[in-house]
Amino acid sequence: MNKKHRMFIRMVMASLVRRRSRMIVALLAVVVGATILSGLEMIYYDVPRQMSAQFRSYGANVIFTPSGEGYIRPEDLEKGAAQFSSEELEGYTPYRYENTKIHNMPVTLAGIDFDSVLKTSPYWHISGSMPSLDGETLVGAKVAESLGIKEGDDITAVNTFEVTSETDTSDIPSYELYTDPESGETYCDHELDLHVSGILETGGSEEEYIYVSLKDAAALTISERGYDIVELSVAAMQDELSETVEKINGSSVGLSAKLVKRVTASESTVLTKLQSLVFIVTSVVLVLTMICVATTMTAVITERRKEIGLRKALGALNSSIIAEFMSEGLVLGGFGGVIGSVFGYYFAQFVSMNVFSSSITFRPLLIPITIAASVLVTGLACLIPIRSAVDVDPALVLKGE
Amino acid sequence: MFFRMVRGTFARQWKKMLMIAVTVALGASIATAMLNVMLGVGDKINEELKTYGSNVTVVPQSEAVISKLYNVENGDVQTEFISQDKLGELLTIFWANNITDFAPVNDTTVTLDSSEVKLVGTWFNHHMEFVKKGTTYQRDTGIINLRSWWDIEEGGWLDEQQSSGDEYAMVGSQLAKDKGISAGDTLRVKGENGEEELVVAGVFESGDDEDDCIYTTLSAEQRLTGTNDLIKKVEVSAITSPDDELAVKAARNPSLLSGDEYDLWYCTAYVSSICFQIQEAIPEASASAVRQIADSEGKILEKTQLLMTLITFLSLLGATLGISNLVTSGVMERSAELALLKAVGAKNGQITLLVLTEITITSIIGAAAGYFMGYAFAQIIGQTVFSSSIEMSGMVAFIVVVLVIAVTLVGSIPAVRMLLRLRPSEVLHGGH
Amino acid sequence: MSKLLELKNISKVYGDLHALDNVCLSVDKGEWIAIMGPSGSGKSTMMNIIGCMDKPSTGQVIFDGKDISKESRRKLTEFHRDKIGLVFQQFHLINYLNAVENVMVAQYYHSMPDEKEALEALERVGLKDRAKHLPSQLSGGEQQRVCIARALINSPELILADEPTGNLDEANENIVLDIFRQLHKEGTSLVVVTHDPEVGEVAQRIVRLEHGKIVSDKKNEQFSEQQEVSL
Repeated sequence: MNKKHRMFIRMVMASLVRRRSRMIVALLAVVVGATILSGLEMIYYDVPRQMSAQFRSYGANVIFTPSGEGYIRPEDLEKGAAQFSSEELEGYTPYRYENTKIHNMPVTLAGIDFDSVLKTSPYWHISGSMPSLDGETLVGAKVAESLGIKEGDDITAVNTFEVTSETDTSDIPSYELYTDPESGETYCDHELDLHVSGILETGGSEEEYIYVSLKDAAALTISERGYDIVELSVAAMQDELSETVEKINGSSVGLSAKLVKRVTASESTVLTKLQSLVFIVTSVVLVLTMICVATTMTAVITERRKEIGLRKALGALNSSIIAEFMSEGLVLGGFGGVIGSVFGYYFAQFVSMNVFSSSITFRPLLIPITIAASVLVTGLACLIPIRSAVDVDPALVLKGE
Repeated sequence: MFFRMVRGTFARQWKKMLMIAVTVALGASIATAMLNVMLGVGDKINEELKTYGSNVTVVPQSEAVISKLYNVENGDVQTEFISQDKLGELLTIFWANNITDFAPVNDTTVTLDSSEVKLVGTWFNHHMEFVKKGTTYQRDTGIINLRSWWDIEEGGWLDEQQSSGDEYAMVGSQLAKDKGISAGDTLRVKGENGEEELVVAGVFESGDDEDDCIYTTLSAEQRLTGTNDLIKKVEVSAITSPDDELAVKAARNPSLLSGDEYDLWYCTAYVSSICFQIQEAIPEASASAVRQIADSEGKILEKTQLLMTLITFLSLLGATLGISNLVTSGVMERSAELALLKAVGAKNGQITLLVLTEITITSIIGAAAGYFMGYAFAQIIGQTVFSSSIEMSGMVAFIVVVLVIAVTLVGSIPAVRMLLRLRPSEVLHGGH
Repeated sequence: MSKLLELKNISKVYGDLHALDNVCLSVDKGEWIAIMGPSGSGKSTMMNIIGCMDKPSTGQVIFDGKDISKESRRKLTEFHRDKIGLVFQQFHLINYLNAVENVMVAQYYHSMPDEKEALEALERVGLKDRAKHLPSQLSGGEQQRVCIARALINSPELILADEPTGNLDEANENIVLDIFRQLHKEGTSLVVVTHDPEVGEVAQRIVRLEHGKIVSDKKNEQFSEQQEVSL
């Protein structure tokens, strides 16, 4: 049978190579189909990841609070944060809140890490600049308005704390003790000079605080303590997040984690819609593209009715004609699938770079899937017209024209 | 004679012509569906993004600030209010239809079981009517859509429309846990100005500090604080356009815009122009964008639209190639017929005109069918994903027709030219 | 001489049209018959029936002593593949296969492709040096010779030619007819369907058809085994 197989291959290849212009037409159709398939597949699988990163502009979606009374210790924070994969964890910002007075008005002061805060609150609008040095502060717009603070001003934050016999006053550089006449407790005012480098506008409650570095917060209160709250921004869906959160809460790390439902629940709603949008768009486009491929293949086969008639006249059985034409179709499908996968990848990459400015995740599994789908569709698209074409009466076709 | 020949082609080659028409129809339907989805996706996603809650807050012009601060005692020093009957003005602004929901949010501190608890008075499913210059504006609005992320752990949403005579409230999960409150319980809360008995309609989990709050009706809160018809803050959720250069420029100071720019800005649903219009309608109020929501919305919308645009572009490319492919092979197939025409003395121009007329008629029929198929596909997408129909843009029909005709001509002209270069004898005797 | 083929009371009816009307014909082994007649006389129908590509409405076809008129399509195909070589007016070469491959296609469906044998067949029709050419690179005469080489590659008992010279000029016509003479001398049976008297008149026996009926069937007096001027 060897010679027979060789002739089979020779005929199929001759048809593919020598009928070049026609085959290119057919191949083009298959390539376009496969490109759309693989391109949309890749985009579809990458949309949640890429979009999820965009949704991080809503800011923190997980918060850590102290478990029970007390504060979050830095080492606990590190342990807790390590539960999220480093690729997904966009950043985290610890907050410690202190009561202070500015111009004799009570204001809440938040000690934060200015380097990471834009990771967890990307929506912060700062007129002026983000503090970069110690001794600089960011003032919430509402505080600024009510206290008449402007960018570039110098202000003094005053911290009042009780002095008891146990208080180690050696840390306090210069202080003045005074005694509350009612309670008889002794207080001391500690001052910190701050330069206002910017005013914070968010339209939310963040505008009601003033922000200093963690170091300045410690200097003001003369105490190194842990954090009241930590905001984390994690690029992951709600289900995954709640799993990790439960894991953290179940472990012995000294903090409790919580989902920011407003962000996570809404994100999963919108992201699900988006993904199903891409999914259904992909399906519709694919179905139509497949039909396009099928009509092209039908045209290519129908054109060769005469040849089919001749082969029958030469004594070919229907089954062997089907086998030959199908092989051609399958080679075409496979070849088109390979080219389409490559084009599709570049298209998906193009989309990803333009829309999300990040590279697409290469999923090797999608290539065999694309090729298999391409072969399958082309095969099916050939099978139907071939089956009707082999029923031609050779006498009629050969006599025609 | 010309038309007889065209008619003849359709009569004899109706199968081939049908195939071309089908392919054109498929291509046109992809184009129609994708273009419409692309144009409509902004609005749809925007509506979805409303689940993040309000993107505009309205507060009294010179609100005293120091309330609500973390651990600050004596928080309720608010002295300025918006009067409740001004709220209806929101329904009269230029972009009123873009305001999907709004609700007053009055917070105060009350005493419950001798401990201090934050209580918020608001609308849940409030029906409001507002009459201005003889026109009646109506709206059902409230906090339900502004807190879509709430998990109702027990009971249900508070229903303002029920008329049992009781005052109802919803309790945050943390507070409910701490105090052992469950749905159906009656709470006795004490405010500055009186006491109320509130029946717990439901317990919710919000995932933020609202879990420690009591939510009740606006009127109950106003009785507790003695601030009848006064509003401390309004949360507004509006469908907005993503900010662009103009919006950024306007945000700095609208009065710096040129006349044309100002008109464009005012008539575009930027969050800044909506805020501006709210302030125009309620002069005693100050409206500002919630940056967390407004900025992110813009970003996500922009990305989604760009994504859909590129997918549309790929689909159009695919459809275009598919059509031109088949048109080319359709023309090539007729080599013998064209050679015969040439052999009997037809001029190249006549043959070209004949073929192009046939193909164009076929394509237009296909495109018309495809447009309606595409309409159906767009609606399927709209209904499946967003449970609402997608508006059809007239521009799309125009683009599709132009595209199809262009593609058909581009697909057939080179093929016709190629065939005309062949010598008739070669084609007729070439043998198959 | 033994009979190769016998048509007994063959009729073929398409609707109201009697393409063949009660025709009887027998072909001896090694005989060269021309079937002549104007268009519409039933030549093609007859050829299709002889070539096992069509079945008669009534009557029997006995090929090599076997009644094939009742066989299934598949059997008919096999039978026709083994016994008959076809030569067409329009050559019907597969345009993307070269000359030798076109010949090999017939081998392929028959038994086993063998390039050497195929080349020998081309040599017989004087086309050995054109074996690697595609049909589009060959003249009409050459294409027809490839077609003949393809018809005889499987050593059929009968070569059935339908207007073999209809698309050829005179020079090529003579070449083809010379090949036929050669085949005849080697003992191959030939049935040539034609309306061209020149082609008909070189055959051993001439059968004339009109309106689906045989109107004459006689030995050709001018037939000679001698080859005419060879080119």
